[in-house]
Amino acid sequence: MESEKWEICSSDGDLCTEDLKDEEDAFYPLSGSISKLQFRKASSRACWNSEVGMAEVVERKGQIWTTTGVLRGGKLYCSIEETLFLAEIGALVLVDENGTGLSLEGIYGKLAEEKNGCCWEHYEVYKHLKSLGYIVGRRGVPWTLKSVGTDALTEDRFITDRLGKLDLNGLEPAFDVYLPNGKFKKSSPGDPSYVLCLTRESPPSRKDVEVLERQSGHIPVKFCHVENGRVSFFSFSKVDLPVLP
Amino acid sequence: MGPRWKGKGFEAKALDDPMSAIVSRLQSSMKDSNAHGLISGSSVILALSSECGNLLNSASFGRPMATVDKEKQWFQLGMEEAFYFHHILNCLEISNGDKQLVTDHDLWQYMTKRKSIFPESFMAYSHLRTKNWVVRCGSQYGVDFVAYRHHPSLVHSEYAVLVLRKGDDESHQRLRSWSEVHCAVRLSGSVAKTLLALFIDKCGYGETSPSFLNGYHVEERIVARWSPEQCREDHTVPQSGS
Repeated sequence: MESEKWEICSSDGDLCTEDLKDEEDAFYPLSGSISKLQFRKASSRACWNSEVGMAEVVERKGQIWTTTGVLRGGKLYCSIEETLFLAEIGALVLVDENGTGLSLEGIYGKLAEEKNGCCWEHYEVYKHLKSLGYIVGRRGVPWTLKSVGTDALTEDRFITDRLGKLDLNGLEPAFDVYLPNGKFKKSSPGDPSYVLCLTRESPPSRKDVEVLERQSGHIPVKFCHVENGRVSFFSFSKVDLPVLP
Repeated sequence: MGPRWKGKGFEAKALDDPMSAIVSRLQSSMKDSNAHGLISGSSVILALSSECGNLLNSASFGRPMATVDKEKQWFQLGMEEAFYFHHILNCLEISNGDKQLVTDHDLWQYMTKRKSIFPESFMAYSHLRTKNWVVRCGSQYGVDFVAYRHHPSLVHSEYAVLVLRKGDDESHQRLRSWSEVHCAVRLSGSVAKTLLALFIDKCGYGETSPSFLNGYHVEERIVARWSPEQCREDHTVPQSGS
């Protein structure tokens, strides 16, 4: 039976790989994701700031901070998704404003509140891409704000706007995605490779796609669908088939 | 996914005899022989001389019918194909069962009545054929059409085509649920085709006359799945610790 399967596959080439992988996922749903995560030994420390809905990193350890967190007035802050991801892999210990340690359960709780610009599905997408080595930031939130007058985080309209605006049923660009890059610099990140929009129940309409493409300029737009822990990405790119001879 | 030629030298063979030239020869041959078809149900059947029939096969239109007739080759055409010969290439006259010649307008009305999405479907068909792609029925792949770069004997079809309405009329629309999108992309991929969605905009023109076709607009979009695992492997391997 096994050999039969391989024989059929060989004629289709790499088209079978996805099928095989999907079957594996059905039987062993955790193995893939766990093997990708690298659990850390040294933990950074951060303190949750409920006013802005972000964690201020008070003790940095490791190379992770070159591609995580935003800089404001010399301080480093990370979003709920960044915080949770690092906490899950043991790279970050979070305390609340009183200095009391927050368990993973506590952080999951914060995510469930959906008050900090992120929801569970957004987090699943974030985690999926981060685990693969991509650099992921919230769309519209600059990595640093060196040129802007005020450095105060509470007045950072980029962050507060994004927090208030989370429209869980709408279709808004959620993340900027950069290809894995060892030389990534927050001071000059360049354009993201993709703008990622999360969808809910339905795929985007053609009109939606057009609007989002216009908003994103020349950066390709991708759409994400999360179902039962499975994250899939689609694009609806405009083309112009060549006129053949 | 680029073109997959079926044999060695086939790409060169295709370049030597471009589809535009084959269709042009077919058009002349049909005009010269006053090609005449009979509309029956949703098909148009016609008899052609062997020279003309061979050209029809070379341009990959219609399906040959096996008959005992030795002098002529019989073919059946789909509505889009027949209307393409009649309205665009002007090389086919069509009669109905009452032996009356059918006008352009009447033919359009007849076909639109049989298939409500015929205006969009024909526009999509015509759009691709005019770009010299070979367009065949795609129902066996769960799509409307499949498009080939040249004759199907030389190359595998590259695109699985879905026709969609652009505008307010959402009836008969596709890709409205994620499961449909997954399904269509997966199916196309499993037969090594890229899913091409053609959005037809009538631009406010009606559909009561084929002359309105000139006002229609076609938007081409590829519906594809992105695999971040594979994409990452195509680029630099991430540094550990980042």
